[in-house]
Amino acid sequence: MILDFQTNQLTTVEEVARGVWRVTARTDDDLFSASLLLDIRTPALDIQAARFDVSRDELDLVQDLSPAMEKLVGVRVGPGMTKIVRAVVRDEGGSERVAEMVIDAMEMLINALTVPQLRKATDAVGQPATLDGDGPKVRLNNVLLGEEQIKLMGGNPRLKDSCVAFRDL
Amino acid sequence: MLAYSRIKSIGVQKQSENLLVVSGVLEDELYAMACEIAISRPNLSIERVQARMKRFTTSRCPLAESVFTRAEGWKLDDELDGKIKKELGREGCRHMAALMIDCCRAAARAELTRELRSAIEADPELDKKAFAAEFLSRRSDLESYLRLR
Repeated sequence: MILDFQTNQLTTVEEVARGVWRVTARTDDDLFSASLLLDIRTPALDIQAARFDVSRDELDLVQDLSPAMEKLVGVRVGPGMTKIVRAVVRDEGGSERVAEMVIDAMEMLINALTVPQLRKATDAVGQPATLDGDGPKVRLNNVLLGEEQIKLMGGNPRLKDSCVAFRDL
Repeated sequence: MLAYSRIKSIGVQKQSENLLVVSGVLEDELYAMACEIAISRPNLSIERVQARMKRFTTSRCPLAESVFTRAEGWKLDDELDGKIKKELGREGCRHMAALMIDCCRAAARAELTRELRSAIEADPELDKKAFAAEFLSRRSDLESYLRLR
């Protein structure tokens, strides 16, 4: 069956200078193509620079968001960011789809900063896993964090009850 | 050096006048997952969901797969994103929830895109902005859900 519609999104995170992380998010679909760049400084996690470029907007519906991008400078990745970003980028005739793109990009920085911690934990205390749903010819989950580590991580208030792994601990 | 990257890729197919099928994949350093959703037309409600956790971090993550079938019967409307995040993300997996939200919105955008493509074939000089306004006045149920702006 031939597709009617396709959408592809790629978000990358890299440390471009000591303590400065660049999140680049690109979205492409049949109607719209755009990219977002955020430079975020650690440890404060505040946005230093934000840029949004539209390369294709078939319906010509997304307006110039340069003023909103300027207002993002200083916004911090952390509690309350969703409300602030929506107020700055979506409200007052802005763009809801771009506001959600900004929030998603900020969340990807958190994911990026989490990867080394999870890698360390998996290397140190990961347990060999054989799962019914994985394989049987090629297995993607040879080592997983087990119950003891799940309980330890679930003690973090940000993780507690955030998903099935950290519920009912 | 790249610290992290995530891709989400989603395709929508119209299998019949009554049925759309959406397939989505997500992959990053930590996770790989896929979901397929059958959506009835023209009312755009979710008929069936298959969610597959392929690569993950904890031994409990696969438990999330069964949570996502709770979406069967839900309609594509302004309440959907919140319901998926709250009822499926928190009780299942928030990364799969993000993929599912994008899959559902892609299905709605495909409805517009299909009609736009036909209209351009009939009139290569079509005023696309006017077309979008006409589509949204006819499908007011989708206007805010589509998030075209």
